[in-house]
Amino acid sequence: MHYAFQWAPIWEHRDQIEQGLLVTIALSAAALLGAVLIGCLVGTAGAAKHKLPRAGALLYVESVRNVPLLLHIYFWYLGLSALELPAFLCAWFGLSIYSGAYAAEIVRAGVLSIAPGQAEGAAALGLRRWQIMCLVIYPQAFRAIAPSLASLFSQLIKDSSLASVVAVGELTYQAGAIEADTFRTFEVYITITVLYLILVTAVSHALLWLPAARAVAVRIDDA
Amino acid sequence: MPEVILHNLPFLAAGLRTTLSLAAWTGVLGTALAIPVALLRYLRVPVAAQICAAYVGFIRGTPLLVVLMLCYFALPALFNYRTSAYPACVLGFSVFVAAYCAEDMRAGLLAVPVSLIEAGLALGLPRGRVLRLIVLPLAARVALPALFGQYVRMLKYTSVASVLGVAELTGSSVLVNARVFQPLTILATVAATYLVICLSVSLAGRLLQRRLATPGG
Repeated sequence: MHYAFQWAPIWEHRDQIEQGLLVTIALSAAALLGAVLIGCLVGTAGAAKHKLPRAGALLYVESVRNVPLLLHIYFWYLGLSALELPAFLCAWFGLSIYSGAYAAEIVRAGVLSIAPGQAEGAAALGLRRWQIMCLVIYPQAFRAIAPSLASLFSQLIKDSSLASVVAVGELTYQAGAIEADTFRTFEVYITITVLYLILVTAVSHALLWLPAARAVAVRIDDA
Repeated sequence: MPEVILHNLPFLAAGLRTTLSLAAWTGVLGTALAIPVALLRYLRVPVAAQICAAYVGFIRGTPLLVVLMLCYFALPALFNYRTSAYPACVLGFSVFVAAYCAEDMRAGLLAVPVSLIEAGLALGLPRGRVLRLIVLPLAARVALPALFGQYVRMLKYTSVASVLGVAELTGSSVLVNARVFQPLTILATVAATYLVICLSVSLAGRLLQRRLATPGG
């Protein structure tokens, strides 16, 4: 091993790394929002009593998650290139729709984990169907699925690196740019690796500390 | 079949072959690497178990694309060797998937009830035999569905090799599109191909699971 480490060039490009980190966080947070929205719709359909919404949810989940994320991003970027969507938007749509399939399975499991008596009780109190879902089922389901959502979020942060392929200036893209500038190949890639590690570890621990998630943890400990 | 696909069929088929060979190498090497990692952690072998835990933690917090970049650009620069995209991808994919497989295997090992191990030891079986005859067969059955989930995920992730310039299915379809520009037709065909392959692997996993199922279990 005759590699001479030089960290100074990386430090000189710290503004690029900072920018990339911000875009990575923004993209994965936006994608989490999109994925959870899709997940709530599709997951609730998947937990429905009727066959038709269930079949629709199954079709969405199976056809979306068996196609690589890269193809989802290419669909918006290349397939619909006539629309000339900005790259960030293409990556956001691709990530949201792809992860939405995983979120749907998580939400479905969460909704099904709530005892049927809860919905029946709420119905007996005269709540409307959307009220039953939004006021009774979702808040309880959220607590049950918070850990799964945390791991979905860390998965999203990692998957957002694929946005670099369509030239979204996130962390991996900036690493490539800095590498081309400085030729400090090992230093720059190990730097962003450590940054991803910190980000993912922080996220997977942070969401578990949300008050809503903690309330149940305490209850389970008591039981 | 659309004309653009028919015209470029040999090229796309070569891409499909590369995708399948990438996935096969990754599946074999990744599983082979995952077994010792899972066992060392399960048996709590001092030092080795900690190293394996650090390796699993490192990989699970790092994006696949970055692992590939490390294998293709950073490691050759550090250790001063030459590599090409395909072997670098096989290395990156295997090291990546092995960490996830090792966790699934370890979960399977931990699912074997302690009482069964104690019963085996009480019957006078040596520790190695308890592991081979009692723990491993039961753990394998528990871990199987999760492992096939990883294989499907890996199959999809082989598309990332196109970023390093490997002309696998995704890469070759992007090349074809750059020449003829019919993105929707090409992407839809490629997506359908992935869908069929991934669903077949899932199905194979389910059949294997049914075949191995213990009666009454």
